Parts: sequence; C-alpha cells; structure tokens
Amino acid sequence: MLIELSRGITLHPGSFTAVIAPEKKILAALNSNADLQRFLFLFVCGNYSRILSGISRTSGNFEVRRPFTADQLLSVIHDASHTVVFVEHDPTLFDGAERLMDPIASALRQAGREAMVILWAPASDRSFAALIRQADRIIEIIPEGPPPDRFGFANQRSCRKGGAVPRAQKTLEV
Amino acid sequence: MWILDSAIRSGGVDLWHKDGTVQKCHHEYDPPFYLHLKDADLHHEMIGALEEHYRAEPCTFTTIFGEREGYAVYAGRPVAEAIEQQTQFAAQLFNVDVRRDQRFMAENAIVPCCADPSDRFSPLFEHGLNCMEIRIRDDPARDQTCSDIEIVCERTERLHGQEKTVLADLFGLIAASDPDLILMTDADRWMSKLQERARVLGLEMPFSRNGKYRTMDSRSYWSYGRVEHKEAALIPDGRILIDTEQSFVYREGGLAGVLMASRLSGLSPSLASRFTPGTLISSYETYEAVRRGIVVPFRKSDAEVLRKFSALKTADRGGMMFQPEPGIFADVDEIDFTSMYPSIIVKANLSPETIAHPEREQRGFLPTALEPLLDLRIRTKHLKKTDPAIAGIDAILKWMLVTCFGYTGYKNAKFGRIEVHEGITGRSRDILLQTKDIAEEMGFRVLHGIVDCLWVQGSPAAALQERVDRETGMPTELEHFSWIVFLPLNDGLGAYNRYYGRLSDGSVKVRGIAARRHDTPEYIRTMQGAMLAVMGKASTIAELDGQWDPVNAIYRNAVEQLPSAPAQDMAISRRISRLTYAHRCIEGAAVNAYRECGVPVAPGMKIRYVVRDARMYQVDPAWHADRFDIPYYRELLDRAWAEITYAFRAGRAAGRERQKSPAMRMQQRICAERP
Repeated sequence: MLIELSRGITLHPGSFTAVIAPEKKILAALNSNADLQRFLFLFVCGNYSRILSGISRTSGNFEVRRPFTADQLLSVIHDASHTVVFVEHDPTLFDGAERLMDPIASALRQAGREAMVILWAPASDRSFAALIRQADRIIEIIPEGPPPDRFGFANQRSCRKGGAVPRAQKTLEV
Repeated sequence: MWILDSAIRSGGVDLWHKDGTVQKCHHEYDPPFYLHLKDADLHHEMIGALEEHYRAEPCTFTTIFGEREGYAVYAGRPVAEAIEQQTQFAAQLFNVDVRRDQRFMAENAIVPCCADPSDRFSPLFEHGLNCMEIRIRDDPARDQTCSDIEIVCERTERLHGQEKTVLADLFGLIAASDPDLILMTDADRWMSKLQERARVLGLEMPFSRNGKYRTMDSRSYWSYGRVEHKEAALIPDGRILIDTEQSFVYREGGLAGVLMASRLSGLSPSLASRFTPGTLISSYETYEAVRRGIVVPFRKSDAEVLRKFSALKTADRGGMMFQPEPGIFADVDEIDFTSMYPSIIVKANLSPETIAHPEREQRGFLPTALEPLLDLRIRTKHLKKTDPAIAGIDAILKWMLVTCFGYTGYKNAKFGRIEVHEGITGRSRDILLQTKDIAEEMGFRVLHGIVDCLWVQGSPAAALQERVDRETGMPTELEHFSWIVFLPLNDGLGAYNRYYGRLSDGSVKVRGIAARRHDTPEYIRTMQGAMLAVMGKASTIAELDGQWDPVNAIYRNAVEQLPSAPAQDMAISRRISRLTYAHRCIEGAAVNAYRECGVPVAPGMKIRYVVRDARMYQVDPAWHADRFDIPYYRELLDRAWAEITYAFRAGRAAGRERQKSPAMRMQQRICAERP
C-alpha cells in the first residue's frame, strides 16, 4: 500500500515521514487513494483541524482521535495499532509542553517501524522542526503557481460579508 | 473560625482568622503526591531511590475511575517532573499541583469566609470585616507614584500633594485603621510601584500584617478565542486586597461575590478575586475532589476514545440555534432554561468516568460535585428578586456554572473530557427541539432560539412554560416582551445575537448593539441609551411609532453636538490581541501611540484611544486626546442610529401589512379573545 503525494513521491509503510505540503495537496492524496479504504487508517488532529472536514472518507476503517494536550498525543501514538497513522501537526499542543517533544518524536519513529506514520503540517514551525528530527524522510512540496495574494484575506472577508469583491484592500479594520 | 486569608509559609500553611481580632495560625503541613505505574517492576530502581531519598510509601488511592495501587511520595513538583522524565512519561501522577493551602483546608473540612463549614452553600452570610477603600485618582499607566488619593474608612479623607507626604499619610492611615479588607483602585498595578517608592523614600509599607507578600506573575493567555492579560500582583499576608478595577469577580459580584467564590473554591478571598470564573470552577472541583478523598491528576493524558469519522461528525455539533426572521414582533415570550448545561450534567449523570454508561446507578464525580452549586444557583436566582444583596452571589454562581460546561472540553481541565462536552451539547439540542415542538403543537409561533432560550409568540405562555418544565425536567424562566426587534445581518437574514425589546416591566433588554458593546464610545452609548429609554415608554408597536419624533430629536441633537463634544467621550476601549500588525490599522496605531507615551503594552491588555485622523491612522491614548476625527465618529454614530431606525421601519412595514390583511386582523382578535 502506497500513498502518492505527487508524481514520483510516494509514502511507504514501515516508515515515519514528515510532510510539509499545502492542504489541497494532502487532501487530494488522501481522497484519491481508493486503496486507503481497505486499511485501518487513524487520523490524529488537535482541536481545530485544517483538513478533517475536507476528507471524504466514509469507510468503516477510517478512525479519528483528537488529543488536546501533548500528553494525550503521546498516549494516542502509543495506543495506535493502525496500518496508517496520519498526524496533523498542532503547534498549540506544545505550548508549555516542550518537555514532550523528544518523547513524541521517538514515539512517532517507534510507531513508524510497523505502520505508515505521516506527520503533516502546511508549514514548518519550531515544534514541527523538533519532531521531525527523528523522521525517516522529510518531504516538502512547494505550492505551484504564484505566491498567494497578500490581500486574499481581506477579499475573503468582504465576500463573506456579502459585499462586492474589491481588487485590493480599500479600508482597514477598525 | 472565619478565615480571611491563607498562605503557604515555612513548610506549612498560615491561616489568618478573625474571631474578634485577627490572628495567624501556622500549621505544619507536608503532604505527598501520588504515583501510579502500570508496571512498577520496570522501575524498581527508581522506586528504591525514592524510598531512600524521600519518604515514599506503598499505598492505595482513589481516582474518579476507581482505586489505584501506587506510592505516596513526600516530595515536591521537581521530583514529580523527574519521575515523568525517567519513566518516559509512563508514570501517572496525582495531587502534584494542588495548592497546598487549599488542600490543607479541604482535607480538614475548613471553609474560608465561613464561620460554620455547614454554611458553605448558604446564600446568606455576614462578615465583620473592617473595610477601607482606597481610590487613587492618578493613572497607573502613566504615573509612577500616587499624588491624589481618596480614602474611605470611618471617614473620608483626601490625600493630595507631595509624593512622600501622601504616601506617608496613606501608610499611616492603614497602620492606624488596621483594616481586614482593602478595596483599592488598580491595586495590582499600583502595589509594586508603591513598594518601590516606599523603599526609595525610606517608608515602611504596611499593607501586609506580617510584612510578607505573595507574588503573582503577569501573563497573557488565550481564553474563549481571545487574548487576555493578567497583571502581576503583590498580595499582602493577613489582609484581603481587592483590585476594584481589574477583578472580574468583584466587578460582577461585588464583595459578596468574592467571599462566596472564596468559600466555594477554598482559596483565599484575595486570590479568588484575581481568578477567572473558569479557574474558580476548576478550583471548586479540586477542593471537592480532595474533600472527598479523590486524587487530582497532574497531567491530562486520557485522550478521547477512538471514533469512526461518521460518529465524530454526528457528535461534534455544538449548541442548536434557530435563525430569526428580522423585524419587530409584538407580545413575545422568552423561555430561558436556568443553568441548562450544568442541569444536564447533573440530570444525565455526565462525567468522564460515567460517560460510557451514564444510565447506570453509580453517580459520577461531576454531577455530584455540581449538584449543590446548581441548587444554590436556583435558590439565589429566586431570592435576588426580593433581596438585591443576593444579586452579586447569583452573578458569580452564574459565571461559574457557565464555565463548568466549557471546562469539560478544556484541554487543561482536571476533570474534563471532550465526550462529556459533546454529550451535554447533544442533549441540549434535543431539549431545544423538544421545546420547539411543544410550542408549535400548542399553537405558538417560534421566532428565534439560541441554545437554551426560545422566543415564542402566542398564548398562554404560562401553560407552555409549565408543560416544558414538566416534559423536559428542567426549570425555566419566562420573560414577556411588549415588543422585540431582531436586527438583520448584511445579507438580510436575521442576526442571532443582536436584538432589543421592551420587557413588560417597562425596562429595555438589549444584546449585541452599540449600547451594550464594550468598545462603543461613551458619546454614542449615551445617545443610543437615551433613545432606548424613550422607546421603552411605548408598550405597543403602534405606540412606538409615536416615539419617532423624540428619538429623531435625540439623534439630530447628537449629530449637532458632535463637533463640540469632549474628546474623552470618544474613547474606544479595545483588548489588543497582538503587538505587531502586518497592515496599517487603527488598533496597531493605538498600540504605537501607547508605546510612544512610554506605556508598556502586552497582548490581552485593554487600551483606550481616540481616533484623531482615521485616514492617516493617527490615534491618541485617551488621556492625551484633545480632538477627534469627526467624520469617523459620525459614521459610528450613524451605525448606532441605524440599529434604532430599523425598529421604526420594521414597525411601519408591519403596520402596513396588518392594514392590507383583514384576515390577519381577525385572527389576532380571535387570539386576543382566548382565555
């Protein structure tokens, strides 16, 4: 069983892989792989997942566990007995729990001896960098196309409020 | 023994009690923490070392999940953390971070601010505290010392003049009056400054009764999605010191609220006044656990259970809301469930250890711990209608019970679990839907609903309330609106949380509009408040239309007077969430203005500023402001005005609609004739 992230880039069982990739990319990889339905898949995320709602899995083999503290994340990784363990990195779990970064990195590596362990983040941060020190592979996929519009956020807000989409930010928040 | 303060001192606990005079009583107290290992043999060397270097004894202790075999280790937190490291976080530790004074009182059935521990859940109590109020007129953000102070004790005194004289007089008055309780403006911002100035000027600061102070560090933290800031505090031993400006508990509940919070949480009143309702409910649960002989976990390592994706989607939905139709409505009743979420916890037996089988007979820790608190709230809610002195206690109980639900899902809650959180919201959705069905079955029109409230039009409302109470098993409150306005969103649909209406007693209840928002400038708040007061005189929608002229006059007058209004009345209060801003914005300009004035800012701090030029992002701290951007404030004024004019527009539209439809007039007459 393989997960193809991008052409020529595949994830293998029996390894701990750290992936930095755009949300769309990772969602496409998970949603387009019919093989995943056949294996026990564990999705691990914090309180606010970026991609959980975008995953279109109805398979009975797709399971979720949400740790809200670093201690809980460690327990979840120790308890996992799935073929694929996908961890969405949540830096807020490590606020004030830096002591657990090394044990969690070790636990991910240990779990990766028997399962396909993927630690994913859309961008690296300090805690992610500490966790991936023990990864077998680190894959970073740079988003294609031009860099995001610096006014993208303002445009989204305007649209949500029902107004016309401005070309650029005209007014600033008060 | 009426305890007014407690402190951890000299390897034990100091309790300050008042029985005529105030006395300190020191208790030697060195409690253990508890250790449980799944496989103790794996760590026999570590256990041997613990037995050798510290006192470590095999024992059995009780968690909310049942009894555990383990060890009582007579050592502090550093040893507990070393055990965690050495066991690769396999060790389960308990009672490591319970405050020692709180634990001592819980184990010995001592209740602070209470002559008789059996009165802990009584809403009625007296205190013989000798009180002093210190009102400092200087600004703690700018001034380094006090030069203008008003002291209210047996008589009112004003201290004004040279710094050394003012401080010497202040300290002299405190020493002479020897108050048990000091209410002080911005105490936490002033105390460290006063301590420093007293040292420089060679004065002895007499706030503490034994010269000792406890310190609390300043910090910024996330709470309910926003950054909050807590000032550092210097708390004197042997006295209650309350910061009247910064204390949320004092602001909401007054002195009675602070004393009740202290009683319930087992914390000293000085500490209870500085904590949030969330920390208070957490402390209450900790006190209750220790009192019942249940150990408190150090780390929260039990994650939610494994779930199928579809099961998670079904469970994780939050509270139920019905989107209202915007407009103005006559004769509306609001059915409000009293403390709905805590009631569900108690009634449905929801607790981390019972969540898998709440129907079983064994009652969980959370329901049994919260039940007396809930009963007390139901009593205070009833009593405050006749005794205003109870209102402060009721307000604090309300806040504690509101947060007890949130804490079941909070990552650091000692007795929380996300499945309990979901179980509560799941049941609340069922109850609101059941209430809606009952209302519609009885011929009511459901206008709006938010989690634990339903707005309905029809009659008889009392019969509806009686049936809802009976069928849901939850107590409700009923409020009658002569008319109510649900405001629209930008997309034309009704806003969930922006409404106002006239209650049957003539008062106007407002939510989410300018008069209620914390960041509204005083000038605009006053204008909208005056308009609502006039509108409150109208007991029907038709009468409301008759108030258009006086309301419009208030608006015209406010617009006319705007250029000559005092700049201070234009101050906008905001809680800043960050210190650096990617784009230019008014809030960022305000942060810079504070810095330029030499005032340190931190995320979560509240700042007050006046916009001098919105286009150029020029902002002044409120105390410096002498002019303001008139078009900018006119726009804010007009927004507040639009919230008011909507009621008149909607009222006239409803009137036209009624005139067009004789059938509806007939229907209304039939409704009115019903018994």
